[in-house]
Amino acid sequence: MKKRLVGAVTFGLSAALVLTACGSESPSGGDATAGGEVRLKLVAADYGDGPTADNSGDKFWKGVVEEFQAANPGIKVDVQVINWNDIDKQVATMVQNGQVPDILQTGDYSGFVKDGLLYKTDEVLSPATSSDLLEKFADFGKVDGTGYGIPFVSSARALFYNKDLFDKAGIAEAPKTWDEVKAAAEKLKAAGVTQPFGLPLGNEEAQAESFLWFLGNGGGYKDASGNWAIDSPANVEAFEYLKGMVSAGLTTPNPGTKNRKDVWADFAAGKVGMVNGGPMSIPIFEKGGLTNFGVAPIPGKTGPLDTTLGVEDWIMAFNKNGRKEEIKKFFDFFYGGTAAQKISDTYKLLPVTKSGIEKLSSDEKLKPFLDALPNATFYPFQDPKWSEVNTQIKQTIGGAIDGDPKAVLGAIQKVATAN
Amino acid sequence: MQQTLTPARVMRALAPLAWIGPAVALIGVVVVWPVVVMIQSSFLRISRFGVVQGANGADNYTKLFAEPDFGGVMARSLVWVVAVVTITVLISLGLAQLFDQRFPGRRLARWALIAPWAASVLMTAIIFKWMLDPEVGLINMVLRDLGLLDALGGAGADPLGNAATAMPWLIFVAVFVSVPFTTYALLAGLSAIPADVYEAAKIDGASRFRTYWSVTLPLLRPALVVATLINVMNVFNSFPIIWAMTHGQPGYSTATSTIFMYILKGSDIGESAAMSVVNFGMVIVLTVIFLKVSKWKTEVS
Repeated sequence: MKKRLVGAVTFGLSAALVLTACGSESPSGGDATAGGEVRLKLVAADYGDGPTADNSGDKFWKGVVEEFQAANPGIKVDVQVINWNDIDKQVATMVQNGQVPDILQTGDYSGFVKDGLLYKTDEVLSPATSSDLLEKFADFGKVDGTGYGIPFVSSARALFYNKDLFDKAGIAEAPKTWDEVKAAAEKLKAAGVTQPFGLPLGNEEAQAESFLWFLGNGGGYKDASGNWAIDSPANVEAFEYLKGMVSAGLTTPNPGTKNRKDVWADFAAGKVGMVNGGPMSIPIFEKGGLTNFGVAPIPGKTGPLDTTLGVEDWIMAFNKNGRKEEIKKFFDFFYGGTAAQKISDTYKLLPVTKSGIEKLSSDEKLKPFLDALPNATFYPFQDPKWSEVNTQIKQTIGGAIDGDPKAVLGAIQKVATAN
Repeated sequence: MQQTLTPARVMRALAPLAWIGPAVALIGVVVVWPVVVMIQSSFLRISRFGVVQGANGADNYTKLFAEPDFGGVMARSLVWVVAVVTITVLISLGLAQLFDQRFPGRRLARWALIAPWAASVLMTAIIFKWMLDPEVGLINMVLRDLGLLDALGGAGADPLGNAATAMPWLIFVAVFVSVPFTTYALLAGLSAIPADVYEAAKIDGASRFRTYWSVTLPLLRPALVVATLINVMNVFNSFPIIWAMTHGQPGYSTATSTIFMYILKGSDIGESAAMSVVNFGMVIVLTVIFLKVSKWKTEVS
């Protein structure tokens, strides 16, 4: 009884929202092309190895869309897949030119909220779909209590180590503390490993590697009360420690210019002893010919982390073209059918739905990551400053290795706290 | 005779428009209009996602000039342009002279020179990046085999890892891709010099060096000025080489103003537009200075 009432209230609310939304809409809203056919434009990031790879995002989405179109005559979906390096800028250009997509799948949604470009989650998700999403993940999709971002996939991080190299260097088990990391790295170095610890602090994903080391010292991008604390003593100490490792030659050389992709490729080639990675690195390592690797929790200063970096990617619906009914159909199809699971299987990304996690819980290799997920820490991406801070981190944080960590982190903190 | 505006006269006055009109329209749409939009954008507040949020006065410029890396980036751009263009022109002068001689296989040599020009610059840059890879790079492997490098994988085998060793490599690649065009421009200039002036020099008993300095170079000046100028603009706006090889990293220590502009685009489009305007101004200033210095209008005496 009560449930039905809540449902009715939700329906009433969303109907009211729809009506108000229609009021401000341009007459072209909800336009259907000739023949009553609606075309949805879907823009998505590529999780695969590029446009020509077997696992390209293009192929994945085309498969999904074909099934969807067969089940929903009258709706056509145009797919455009863009690689991760360019998607932000290309979407910005689309918005600038007024050619917004109807559905966008990428790494961040929060920037669009401020500009009022997105549908609210409950306008485009049916109750069945939204109740299947993990609450913790869905909560990260909210700005001021209202949902805008819909969780798409997630991932968590752990330490990968090359068991053959560990045997060769005489290391019995994965390191748990920073000092054990250093000791293991020294042994690996003595055994002739050129990069004992893989340390990608180049622009591709410097914000992730840095965050893991910050967390290891009880630091992070923000303090407990939610204020930016990028140059906190804990963070500076973490970089001082890394600095010592780099100058001793125990890591990737010049980490400030090395990208995750390349360091992972070196790990797969057996040139790196340990590296932080996620479930999505498993297929990369295996494809590179490395199967004898172990996965362990990320070492902290005094013991293994009880948290890790969680990353959540998002899908969202733009309100400019007023096609929310069609979008809702697409989302129901995506989450209700096999598509959401197919993406986890293809790219070893973790699901965001309760049903999806249940299905994967028997996968041995994914288990450490699924276990870590509930305790994961996320980037402060709901802060409107994050995107600018993130750009700055990617470009400059590696400079803390050659320069003065306090000064480099202080400069980023300044960007974060500037008006 | 008094000029009256008869229809026939107007038609005659407007006739050239039919010929130059399309060109003017094309220049207006693809050159002037983007410049106007660029300058406009630099005074707007634009969200990272491309939504214009209103006027921003000169704030974008204030913010840009206050960037701690701005001064270094501008100085580096200048060094980059001067170094790349100077080295390119010097090498090209020599090569053009060589290719102007008759020797067996000249045709083949001339064709071979086109290769770096014909290949995509981005591709060339990526190939050089791979050849300089600290673990598997070809250049590093050769250096190690020659005994010039202790081992692969270390900092010594990673020239792109810090600015002091990365900049020379970036400049080298930029020169490598600029030399073919410059050489061909100079080669065309050389073949336009009539043979009789050389004969006259010979009769006057001029030395080889003297002939080159007083006959060849002055007559080559028009080609030299054009080739240098095009290079200055090209190199100043050059993006793919640095982007592919170092991404301007570590920090901004290998970034030129074009790279800086592109990175800013990821966080603040208005500020990035301000950087573009500054860039645009720089190119114009460099061009004017260059034309003044080269006295391009004065006739060769």
